[in-house]
Amino acid sequence: MSRTFVEMAGRRLPLSNLEKDLYPSYGFTKAHILEYYRRISPFILPHLKDRALTLKRYPEGVENDFFFEKRCPSHRPAWVKTAEIPQEDGERRRVCLVNDLETLMWAENLASLELHVPLARARSAETPDSMVFDLDPGDQANILECARVALTLRDLLSRMGLASYVKTSGMKGLHVYVPLNRKETTFEDTKTFSKAVAEIMQKHYPDLVTAKMDKKYRKAKVFINWSQNDASKTMICVYSLRAREKPFVSFPLEWKELENLAGSGDPEKLQVMTSEAVSRVEKKGDLFQEVLVKKQKLPHL
Amino acid sequence: MAVQGMWSGTISFSLVAIPVRLVKAIEPGRISFRLLHNKDYSPLTRKMFCPKGETAVPPDEMIRGYEIMPDQYVLMTDEELESVSPERSRTIEIVEFIDMKEVDPIYYDHPYYLVPSKGGEKAYQLLVEVMHRTNKAGLAKFVLAEREYLVAVTPRDGALALVTLHYSDETLPDEDISPKKGKDAAEEENRIKKNIEQMIEDFNPGKYADERRKKLMDLLKTKAKEKAPVEAPAVEEGEGEGPADLVAALEESMRKVKESR
Repeated sequence: MSRTFVEMAGRRLPLSNLEKDLYPSYGFTKAHILEYYRRISPFILPHLKDRALTLKRYPEGVENDFFFEKRCPSHRPAWVKTAEIPQEDGERRRVCLVNDLETLMWAENLASLELHVPLARARSAETPDSMVFDLDPGDQANILECARVALTLRDLLSRMGLASYVKTSGMKGLHVYVPLNRKETTFEDTKTFSKAVAEIMQKHYPDLVTAKMDKKYRKAKVFINWSQNDASKTMICVYSLRAREKPFVSFPLEWKELENLAGSGDPEKLQVMTSEAVSRVEKKGDLFQEVLVKKQKLPHL
Repeated sequence: MAVQGMWSGTISFSLVAIPVRLVKAIEPGRISFRLLHNKDYSPLTRKMFCPKGETAVPPDEMIRGYEIMPDQYVLMTDEELESVSPERSRTIEIVEFIDMKEVDPIYYDHPYYLVPSKGGEKAYQLLVEVMHRTNKAGLAKFVLAEREYLVAVTPRDGALALVTLHYSDETLPDEDISPKKGKDAAEEENRIKKNIEQMIEDFNPGKYADERRKKLMDLLKTKAKEKAPVEAPAVEEGEGEGPADLVAALEESMRKVKESR
């Protein structure tokens, strides 16, 4: 096993197995992964900051077993910031906070390709700062159907006075975020609201949408997963890599762009890979910036 | 691969300071099970329950209380708890050297190893050697995970082991346990002594594997191969209309969305 050291901000970080190909059918090594996250770090770090990270580790690459770690590993370096989150059973869980480049590099050295975070920050774990609609296509549906649902959702939310933002999941779906950023909001609010929206969508577009989790209702439809609006759930962080055959990332799109892509009829065009992600974000900036700052109140609750 | 530590700092006494990392010496072999609902295999979750009014209590309504008398509690906030927690320390400062034989095993709590960090290898080796030759253990105070521990540092196979010790007020008195000596004690004593002598061997912990754990793991492996594991159902919440105002506003908005298309 090869091993090398880097020093960042006075912190010494051992990096191992840099030459290991973690996306073997495409050819993307751990060194590539570290380089991607280093380049994207100015844009992803604000979205990871102060949130309990769930590590999803692929030590033997994307074609082999992975494992989740919600607890911050006890072998972490002393400088990794952590927080304690109260659990349902009254216990507390110590979690990692990725607030700087060094911690991001440390997590990637552990082959944590996918970075999952909750919709709330660790110190206010019961206050979601956004509401999310996780659009998940069932069998015989694809990201183009998701795009149709997302565009209708945008219009509906907009009529309700709410601005929304969309990103690819990096897998097969889309995620629509509604920034809230008010300390009065609860997960009960976001869950009630998103569920009512999902059910209205299902009622008006029964052939395209289901609001039900059960797989038997999902065939050829888009499942609007509103139940992600929960303190115990996590979402893939914007700009995170996904563990697929190719290094696709969860990437924000402009609504206009989604309209054009939806019209193109080619689902492949909606996927963004690492190289494209870096060049686009460096040119256009963070399209998800508003999700972190825009204050909105959910009406009629 | 060099082992990553759960703590790193220095071990020191008088003018010597050696950079080290603390690593676990033991991985407990306990196998744990989830509790499932026998009807649909849903993994069960715990809810904290208020016996008065029989309601589930959310985390933001939970506070800590120390039961000072039956049904009488002293409240304690996170801040107060933090105010008495010791500062994280970067050093294991050996304050005295003792003979390890003097430490009753009942005080042993949890074992770790100290691994030399870069630059500390030579001094580490010397310390191990000297401690081994003099047969001494270093006694130190040390803060780990917000608790201050009394620890003993001992040489072990060319490395340093660290064992956290219980404080003396944590051990229970044994007065009530040892019975009074009987009359025919002498003869009985001799007999027991002989029996013990017949059974004397060198301590070889490798001989005693955790049989139950091994059998249990084998059984789990066989069962996993024979039959597909049961699957928990997706969590489904009941269909609700949502607040009437909200549903009405959504219907109205939806009508306008459709009109404008």
